[in-house]
Amino acid sequence: AAEPWPENAALYQQLKEEQILLSDNASSLAVQAFLQMCNLPIRVICRANAEYMSPSGKVPFIHVGNQVVSELGPIVQFVKAKGHSLSDGLDEVQKAEMKAYMELVNNMLLTAELYLQWCDDVTVEEITHPRYGSPYPWPLNRILSYQKQWEVRRKMKAIGWAGKTLEQVLEDVDQCCHALSQRLGTQPYFFNKQPTELDALVFGHLFTILTTQLITDELSEKVKNYSNLTAFCRRIEQQYFEGHEKDSSTIAARSSKKSLLR
Amino acid sequence: MAAPMELSCWGGDWGLPSLHPECLTVMAYAKFSGAPLTVNTVNNSWRAPKGDPPVLVSEDIVISQPAKILNFLRKQKYNADYDLSAKQGADTLAYIALLEEKLLPALLHTFWIEAENYCSVTKPWFASKIAFPLSLYLPGKMSREALNRILLTKGGPPLYSLTEVEAQIYRDAKECLNLLSKRLGTAQFFFGDTPTTLDAFVFGFLAPIYKVCFPRVQLQEHLKQLPNLCRFCDDILTCYFRLTVSSCSPAGQDTADANLQKLTQLVNKESNLIEKMDDNLRKSPQHPPRKLTTLKLAAGGEESSPMSRLSP
Repeated sequence: AAEPWPENAALYQQLKEEQILLSDNASSLAVQAFLQMCNLPIRVICRANAEYMSPSGKVPFIHVGNQVVSELGPIVQFVKAKGHSLSDGLDEVQKAEMKAYMELVNNMLLTAELYLQWCDDVTVEEITHPRYGSPYPWPLNRILSYQKQWEVRRKMKAIGWAGKTLEQVLEDVDQCCHALSQRLGTQPYFFNKQPTELDALVFGHLFTILTTQLITDELSEKVKNYSNLTAFCRRIEQQYFEGHEKDSSTIAARSSKKSLLR
Repeated sequence: MAAPMELSCWGGDWGLPSLHPECLTVMAYAKFSGAPLTVNTVNNSWRAPKGDPPVLVSEDIVISQPAKILNFLRKQKYNADYDLSAKQGADTLAYIALLEEKLLPALLHTFWIEAENYCSVTKPWFASKIAFPLSLYLPGKMSREALNRILLTKGGPPLYSLTEVEAQIYRDAKECLNLLSKRLGTAQFFFGDTPTTLDAFVFGFLAPIYKVCFPRVQLQEHLKQLPNLCRFCDDILTCYFRLTVSSCSPAGQDTADANLQKLTQLVNKESNLIEKMDDNLRKSPQHPPRKLTTLKLAAGGEESSPMSRLSP
């Protein structure tokens, strides 16, 4: 039996205007899209220390009733335990495919976003360091950003991405988008008529890439090459986010806000 | 037409052409696409390795990661994915990502971090394949890299101890194996009747789990409950590798392997002799003293074989 979803369910992320980074924004948007698709209302609360409040150290996390769950995977399972699921109608082979594609997005897109934010020196200097440490006074802001950068670079080295150049990373993004585009084809969603968590995840990442202004536009250009992916993002945005202007933002509003920053 | 290509990789054992998953993937792909590769197993020579195996050397080009090696082979027109549709190509990428995220940590753990497995099987095996001072350092380094990788990618805050991380990665790996089994179903290969890149990757990851005899084998036991995956590995081994398993390139034949073969032959001969003597005894039961002498001979014979094993 479905348990009631409380009215005051909240999603926590970092400060939208000044602090949040590309990868965290993508993850947060994916969770928001997923909950919208399940028809579960949620408020988005921005806090500077969201990363530290989270049980796993990663944003976003949701606070429902007296439980705190972070990251899309566990949130999907939590919501399923409450009786709401988007992927019940899929058969076993389709579920396997869905899981595989979600891993592909995490493996390639998320890692590429992290690489761009933390391992590309120009982006790090001009965007990441100022944004990441913005709520804190000097020297704390520099210390925290260097610490995070060191952590991310260690992880990149362990999985073998440290030796890649930016061109190679963009190549990988292109390959990933090509695969997603092929899989989507002309269908409205990845598994034809109904959206699933895969659609939410892909939307979160692609929409954020398309609407975030970085040093260069190379990353968003790679995604724009695939018209069915941009149409997919627009469709989900219109269907699930138009009514809620307070919390989310449309493409035009997002890029104008971002262009105020460097 | 193409320049001769040499692949250097770790050697094999337990019926496999190689123990290292990435080396196996590249070798399988080469077999599927018909690329003429000469395989050199890493051995006791002092030649400086050009990078972590598998390494492909073609004229002056040195390529070291499996994905790049496969790309290079495709550019040389050895393409196993020729018949795949675009959607199947996309599925390939997705399933490879699934393998790397879910199955690889458990594979690394079984080989390099599980204490019993590492000390009794992995370390001696790899140490025996490398020249002396490096053999003291390299297996330890590979083990530390594996632990690092697992902790950095999977060991986030809610999982505070290594045992919790281990439990999680084995759960993920078993789920991944189940998913692969469902996807394969009753087909011979993942995309129809001819093997492709995905088959090479799946084979590369599954075969070491399936074949290598470890003391701690929870993943192998789970795999053995999925008969279609076991059949998949066995099919590839018999169809594509049987020709080379027994006759691997002479340059790569290890002296230790040669010794092992000689020892096996010796032991077989001994057991044949013993059987013959037993038969003789049964036919003539009135000569009990001979029994003692034959036992002594057998004991003497068995003692001599460990001696010959110790001698390098």
